[in-house]
Amino acid sequence: MAEAAQGQEPSSQAQGSKTPVYEVGFHIVPTIGEEQIGGVVEKIRAALGESEIIKDQFPSKIVLTYTIERSNQGKREKYHEAYFGWIKFAAERENIPAIEQAIRGMREVLRYILVETVREDVASPRRAIFTSDRLEGQTLKKPTSTPETAAPAGVSEEELDKSIEALVQ
Amino acid sequence: MQFQRIDYKDVETLKKFLNPHGKIMSRRRTQLSAVNQRALAEAIKRARFMALLPYIVR
Repeated sequence: MAEAAQGQEPSSQAQGSKTPVYEVGFHIVPTIGEEQIGGVVEKIRAALGESEIIKDQFPSKIVLTYTIERSNQGKREKYHEAYFGWIKFAAERENIPAIEQAIRGMREVLRYILVETVREDVASPRRAIFTSDRLEGQTLKKPTSTPETAAPAGVSEEELDKSIEALVQ
Repeated sequence: MQFQRIDYKDVETLKKFLNPHGKIMSRRRTQLSAVNQRALAEAIKRARFMALLPYIVR
């Protein structure tokens, strides 16, 4: 039974790796309340349909580097900030145009980008390289000098005086 | 410079490859391979589109 399970695993992985992985990054308009953002994210997730969600980031408010303008019912709207979030998902290639159209139709989504990516995290965390074999984060301690009290303790004052006199003479 | 897979959301890394005007540095300056320079340029352009990076800094 265990063998059967082991045998199935690679095939499912191979199937998963075959499915192309995409990522949709989106800006949600800042005019909607923070409590409504969850609803918009759910709408985007619903637009993805049967796709497998690999990873996502809940939208957070960011300041845009330039003003995004768009016309809404004959009025020009200007946005200096937005809620930016993203969802990484695996979907079949033929489903992508439908997903894109669904997201484009959402008025709450100010701008979006749909890109093909890889399943793994693309930006690996940067770590400091330690040349020594000490553990990362371990603080080096200054080597403490051993107290040399043992030797003087064994010498009496008289002996010390004698030796000093001998040195002086 | 060691170059791992670059992402348009990794704005702090991308900023290192922009000059003070917001232009993409040349390959001569970045010392990247042709493949990586293309990946970098694409990531920067995506970040610009999403207003994560400016098109121009005056």
